[in-house]
Amino acid sequence: MDYFSHSWLPFIYLYGFGGILFVSGIIITLKAGSFDLKRFAHKKWMWVLLFGFVWYIMLHALMTWAALGTISPNIVPIIMMALLVVFVVVNYILKQKARA
Amino acid sequence: MQTFHSIGTTADWVVMVIYFVAIMLFGSYFGRYTKTTTDFFFGGRRFSWWLITMSIVATGVGSHSFVKYSAKGFEHGISSSMTYLNDWFFVPFFMFGWLPIIVYSKIRSIPEYFEKRFSPSARFLATILLLLYMIGYIGIGFLTLGKAVIPMLPQAFTLLGATFPITLMGAIIVIAVITGIYITFGGQTAVIFTDLLQGFVLLFAGLLLFFFGVTYLGGFDIFWNLLPTEWKLPLADFNQPSNFNFVGIFWQDAIAGSIGFLFMNQGLIMRFMACKNVNEGRKAAAVNILFVLPISAIVVGNAGWVGKAISVASPEIVSPTVSPDQIFVVVANIISSPGVFGFIMAALTAALMSTVDTLINATAAIFINDVYRPVQQFFKRNQGTNAETDKRELGAARYASIAITTLGVLAVLAFKNFPTVYEAHGYFHSTLTPPLVVGIFLGVFWKRFTPAAVITTFVGGVALMILGARYPGILIAPFDHGIEMNPSHPYSYIRALYNTLVCSGVAVLTALTTKWQASLISYLRSRANGKPIMNGLVVATVLLFGFVLFNVGGIIFQVIAATGVLLLVPLAVTYFVHYDEEKHTNGLIANSIDIARKFFKGGDPNDIEGETVLVQWEEKGSSDTEIFFSEHDMKIMKANLGDLVYLSDKRKWFGGLKSIHSVFGKPHNEVGKVYLSKELARHGLFVKDRILEAEKEM
Repeated sequence: MDYFSHSWLPFIYLYGFGGILFVSGIIITLKAGSFDLKRFAHKKWMWVLLFGFVWYIMLHALMTWAALGTISPNIVPIIMMALLVVFVVVNYILKQKARA
Repeated sequence: MQTFHSIGTTADWVVMVIYFVAIMLFGSYFGRYTKTTTDFFFGGRRFSWWLITMSIVATGVGSHSFVKYSAKGFEHGISSSMTYLNDWFFVPFFMFGWLPIIVYSKIRSIPEYFEKRFSPSARFLATILLLLYMIGYIGIGFLTLGKAVIPMLPQAFTLLGATFPITLMGAIIVIAVITGIYITFGGQTAVIFTDLLQGFVLLFAGLLLFFFGVTYLGGFDIFWNLLPTEWKLPLADFNQPSNFNFVGIFWQDAIAGSIGFLFMNQGLIMRFMACKNVNEGRKAAAVNILFVLPISAIVVGNAGWVGKAISVASPEIVSPTVSPDQIFVVVANIISSPGVFGFIMAALTAALMSTVDTLINATAAIFINDVYRPVQQFFKRNQGTNAETDKRELGAARYASIAITTLGVLAVLAFKNFPTVYEAHGYFHSTLTPPLVVGIFLGVFWKRFTPAAVITTFVGGVALMILGARYPGILIAPFDHGIEMNPSHPYSYIRALYNTLVCSGVAVLTALTTKWQASLISYLRSRANGKPIMNGLVVATVLLFGFVLFNVGGIIFQVIAATGVLLLVPLAVTYFVHYDEEKHTNGLIANSIDIARKFFKGGDPNDIEGETVLVQWEEKGSSDTEIFFSEHDMKIMKANLGDLVYLSDKRKWFGGLKSIHSVFGKPHNEVGKVYLSKELARHGLFVKDRILEAEKEM
């Protein structure tokens, strides 16, 4: 059975439209000056924002692959935990850098 | 459809009663920290991000509810989680646009922003729309609560020989009375701390239920393999069925809902305003959306997924025809033992109460700030000291909470005939959020957005939305993405796209034609009969809006009437409302946040990053605006005279409950010591001989 309209079509629509909005948000706030990458604290936030976008893309993609039987559902939490560890480690490094 | 009554045992009821008494005592304990209206509504702007994150869990989870997501999980599977996993797109706008503006401009409510940014008339219309939104939201909360407890109650009870049926509305009224109690006497600090506790309980109870469900079925692999592929997919089918499809829910929830939730849900906004600073608010939002919401999606939907798996394996235990809104209670009762079921039900109902409490508190804040105070000012009743005014307002806030609770119960009548709570909520969100969402969004990010544009969005946008609701087959159908129209509830979700587009279109077109409006109005002003002409146009506008509202004439006549409204409202606003773009945008739009920070501090912000210092405190002096550190400590903090400082109890687990914001006064030479007045020490709830931590804010 073809599940395209139930899997990848909504996925593309979600991250296509959502991605445009997300990038617009970053560009508009940068242009407005309220998001200022000259400040180290805001640079850290840029990392968090981009990580968040990738985090959700990965979550939906992995869940879709698991539902379609491409990967085992048990792999989903393992990869998400690995991403979480990356997030924590990078944040820690950035915090140390800020203190230095 | 199969429905249930009298589910549960005496042990479950005992556990529920104990849980509720404990929660109310917990809330009342923290209610003693409420001394002013700022405490009542904003918790004194003092809390750490983790405390706010957890307190948002109970509000977010409760508002989206175990009941409605379990229902959709049972009907459609894991795609019930999609509304929890689509909130990240607007986070940049929120973190670096709306959040700093609401904090630095020191507004107390969303309508107040509309007055500062546009005009008092924009505030008036925003207040009406926002009160409708909030009271409707409270109504949805009460409806969900009623649907959650009805399966546990008998069909009727006997008192003094007479038999009384237990109805949905009857149950809701009793719940409303209980709900109103601690919010009325507690305030925001009580709500935040009660929600903190309930946030943990809620996540624990939901995950416990999932564990029980999977164990009941014989393990995760069996559970997973019992679900058909469509039930395992994380997103719904693109455009079918009409009551649950991806594209409709994307526009209703990911777009209108996300902006509505982040930008105009006064309850949530007040949580962020209770954070000790903007950065803590950003952290609370990021952690909540990134990590807590995915867990919450499992917590609220898993009963439906487990119910579906049981119905596939053993339809005699869970029939596929069970009423979806009852599936949570049915499954929880099957897979958990007596007492545990009571605990899960207590967590569910308490979470829903948290949501309703937050909304009642928030609506009371809007009432006090945007109705009570302006009325008092109009009648010049604001006499007496600040303390007396504050006491009077605190009393009014408590009475307002009672009145709002009553209106919330009445609002249930508008939603109780929808097949599920999910659809009622979707319809409500699609209908009420677009005008305000567009108003706030363009107000924050577009300097050229004028009072004429925002008021035309509110009035003209609403006129076009009414037409869409009345003629969905003609007006909404072109945007339906192939979704079939259900005649009883047409386009419950995708109407959000039509509503958002018409409101945005009206807003942008009106703002772009500002110069034409101005030249027409200056021509009218130059004429002797300009004012009578404008008064006549206002009457004509009201009549035309009335034709649309009360369905006078056919579609063509109503479209012409709505067009008339769209043309006349901007002219009337430009004529009657005085607007100075510089004055009304300074510090109130995203590209003037530095000015907002300056206003907030009362001088140039000091952004040099310093370190925190630990100090002992002592009462000295009577200044309620300044506290006094040693020169050495101020050097470590990189602080100057007049900078803002945050002083809190060193023990992090208080989450900022014992803290104050103040200003650096003239330094002394005693290293490690801070002097502050008795009043500030009392307000900060500082304990004698306890070490405090100080940090420069800006």
